[in-house]
Amino acid sequence: MWGRSASFILDKQKIDVAQNPNHTQPPDTFTLLSSSPPPVSMADALHHHANPNPEPPGISAYYQARAAHYGVVTSDWLADAQAAVARRPDDDDGPFSPPAAGKPFSVIDEFNSWRMQPDLAEAVAAIRALAAVIRNSQATTMMELEIELKKASDSLKSWDTTSISLTAGCDLFMRYVTRTSALEYEDFNSAKSRLIERAEKFGEISCKARRIIAMLSQDFIFDGCTILVHGFSRVVLEVLTTAAQNKKLFQVFCTEGRPDRTGLRLSNELAKLDIPVKLLIDSAAAYTMDEVDMVFVGADGVVESGGIINMMGTYQIALVAHSMSKPVYVAAESYKFARLYPLDQKDMAPALRPIDFGVPIPSKVEVETSARDYTPPQYLTLLLTDLGVLTPSVVSDELIQLYL
Amino acid sequence: MPDVQALVNDFVLKLRRRKIEGSQATARQTAELLRSVISQQRVPYTNQAGALIDAIRAVGEQLIAANPVELAVGNIVRRVLHIIREEDLSLTTAAIAGLNLPSVSDDDDDDDGEREDQPVLSAASVAAAARSTLRPPSLQTLLEDRPDSAAIPHTSSSGGDSEGKSKSADKSSRSKKLKHDVIEAVNELIQDIATCHEQIAEQAVEHIHQNEVILTLGSSRTVLEFLCAAKEKKRSFRVFVAEGAPRYQGHLLAKELVTRGLQTTLITDSAVFAMISRVNMVIVGAHAVMANGSVIAPVGLNMVALAAQKHAVPFVVLAGSHKLCPLYPHNPEVLLNELRSPSELLDFGEFSDCLDFGTGSSSPLLHVVNPTFDCVPPKLVSLFITDTGGHNPSYMYRLIADYYSADDLVVQQKPVSVN
Repeated sequence: MWGRSASFILDKQKIDVAQNPNHTQPPDTFTLLSSSPPPVSMADALHHHANPNPEPPGISAYYQARAAHYGVVTSDWLADAQAAVARRPDDDDGPFSPPAAGKPFSVIDEFNSWRMQPDLAEAVAAIRALAAVIRNSQATTMMELEIELKKASDSLKSWDTTSISLTAGCDLFMRYVTRTSALEYEDFNSAKSRLIERAEKFGEISCKARRIIAMLSQDFIFDGCTILVHGFSRVVLEVLTTAAQNKKLFQVFCTEGRPDRTGLRLSNELAKLDIPVKLLIDSAAAYTMDEVDMVFVGADGVVESGGIINMMGTYQIALVAHSMSKPVYVAAESYKFARLYPLDQKDMAPALRPIDFGVPIPSKVEVETSARDYTPPQYLTLLLTDLGVLTPSVVSDELIQLYL
Repeated sequence: MPDVQALVNDFVLKLRRRKIEGSQATARQTAELLRSVISQQRVPYTNQAGALIDAIRAVGEQLIAANPVELAVGNIVRRVLHIIREEDLSLTTAAIAGLNLPSVSDDDDDDDGEREDQPVLSAASVAAAARSTLRPPSLQTLLEDRPDSAAIPHTSSSGGDSEGKSKSADKSSRSKKLKHDVIEAVNELIQDIATCHEQIAEQAVEHIHQNEVILTLGSSRTVLEFLCAAKEKKRSFRVFVAEGAPRYQGHLLAKELVTRGLQTTLITDSAVFAMISRVNMVIVGAHAVMANGSVIAPVGLNMVALAAQKHAVPFVVLAGSHKLCPLYPHNPEVLLNELRSPSELLDFGEFSDCLDFGTGSSSPLLHVVNPTFDCVPPKLVSLFITDTGGHNPSYMYRLIADYYSADDLVVQQKPVSVN
């Protein structure tokens, strides 16, 4: 037990050194433990140096955007948004005025303006932003264009390191650009316009992907089944909507999804569709797992091992389901496949999100604010993607084919 | 085509009455029947592949409906459909390559479907697009244009039309060529089915070593050939055979092994858990292998697989490639099990009063259930040995992508609702 706790003392000291470089000498571990005037309590001493900042640097913009979406997304809104996207695929600049002539073009601003549309997937927003880069670029050769795109893609990725679908979308588009070399085209402008056209089309692909996944999953949902869902995934909502439209009889157990209350939002939507919904607190997952026939989750990202990165709590539910031999199905579009291989929970860039407990927390108590966790592939049964129904081992194959 | 229809009806009857034993015989006869259907089918000048595909689909639907549990039938139907598509594609690209203008290099043999961005020759792009629709969708092709697969046969033939008179002579030879190629390929398929045992048995020496103890259940011809091939290579090993109630085919296998000179021990199914700790490897056959790697095997094998997992004994499944099914077990089209006659379990004479559905009492208190198959989940299987070599269960989907097209998963002729 001491072995573990010493390490967190050392970690705190590193934070301490990083934050207060004026300190001449950080207290030695052993002196801390055995020194004569010990501080009032261990917790106090540790917390001296690592006070929770009022503006923690790691708050994930991705999850903030998602939280903003949850307030807006309803099924009617989604239907309207889809219709709008389909109507004007090319110049969807309605609410977004193009930047004034004097203002320099910023890919990050562009991305943010796209991302605020709740119906648009992250990757689609990224690709649209990159398409805007191409449109506004002054390059005259393919090489120049590629370099500009690479710079834009890197700046997007570094601006929000926590969003996996953003990274995956950027990589996918860059890969497509570098492979469609201009040697086929005598004319640079036609190459450029083709790239822009493909990027615009990608939004349609994304909508179609959700429909394909919804259609594939109809075979899994049988009459009289009980489905457990976690987190508000637009793909899973589409799956359940399609099943309801096909007059299937099933009931849904919805976890509350603290602290975003995603479960409450989802249960609202499902109730509107006349699907019997039961809300559970997150801790009640194991209690009800007996009555559940299958678990459906979405994914923020699908990693190379075939595991998924999703809202905090997914790993827990997958573990419980696995121990009770219930299948766990993941509905994820294929552009979420990312070249990551996390070996444990802490292996990813931290994505933090503030948690409001409703009562003030004493300052010496730490809060685990990570927004997501990693579910290893052995706890997942099948991945439903627009490439078909896949087992988790297919993911690395697909990624290898794309990148090598 | 009336004689073909008579053949089809005959075969359907045999399937329905379960007259054909074993998936290899079923697969071979299905392939031969489909070959007759193809050779008798009259194809129009344009869109020949489409006509063949429709004909095979119609016949295939009947065959699958006759015996849904025998998945080999559906597998062979889908293999033949895939063969037709492939042969049509290679003929189309060859024809267009022949007419290709020198400005565009002949990339058609280069297997990447992205070369469609050629404004020069639309026909080449159509062929490339057709190639990309033949392969299942992948991340690579996500951003590409993927025209509707139904449009491809029309455009390829209309592309041919526009070339002029010289094409018409080619087309009539092409029509004969397509059928000829397809029939040749189906002959190869039949050959593969017939020789699958030999090809699997060739690999026996790598897996069975000196002084090993092998366990098997019931009787499978593949397993028999496998073990005998190892024996011929002078490996000395022992075999435990579990008898495989209620058909007791293990008895037959034991007798056969003894005549070939192998030391055999016969045990009951219930004794498997007791004896498994003395066993080095479990080798069994399969009825069918599903897309996620789960195995449909004779009843009792799930128990053997669990015993093997508990004692860390490798569980090896031998399966010819005609047993590979592109469907998943959850699919409603797949019937995982079939119930056989209770007379295999109980003697009607003694139990006739308990089983009596007739006059007097409502329903009898004694029910007898005799399932034929077990479904073994993929995580219990260590290795699959097919005629192409040894594979991991999670690798099965790759073989499926080689042998089958995504469009053929649903053989029924219902209107397509996919967008």
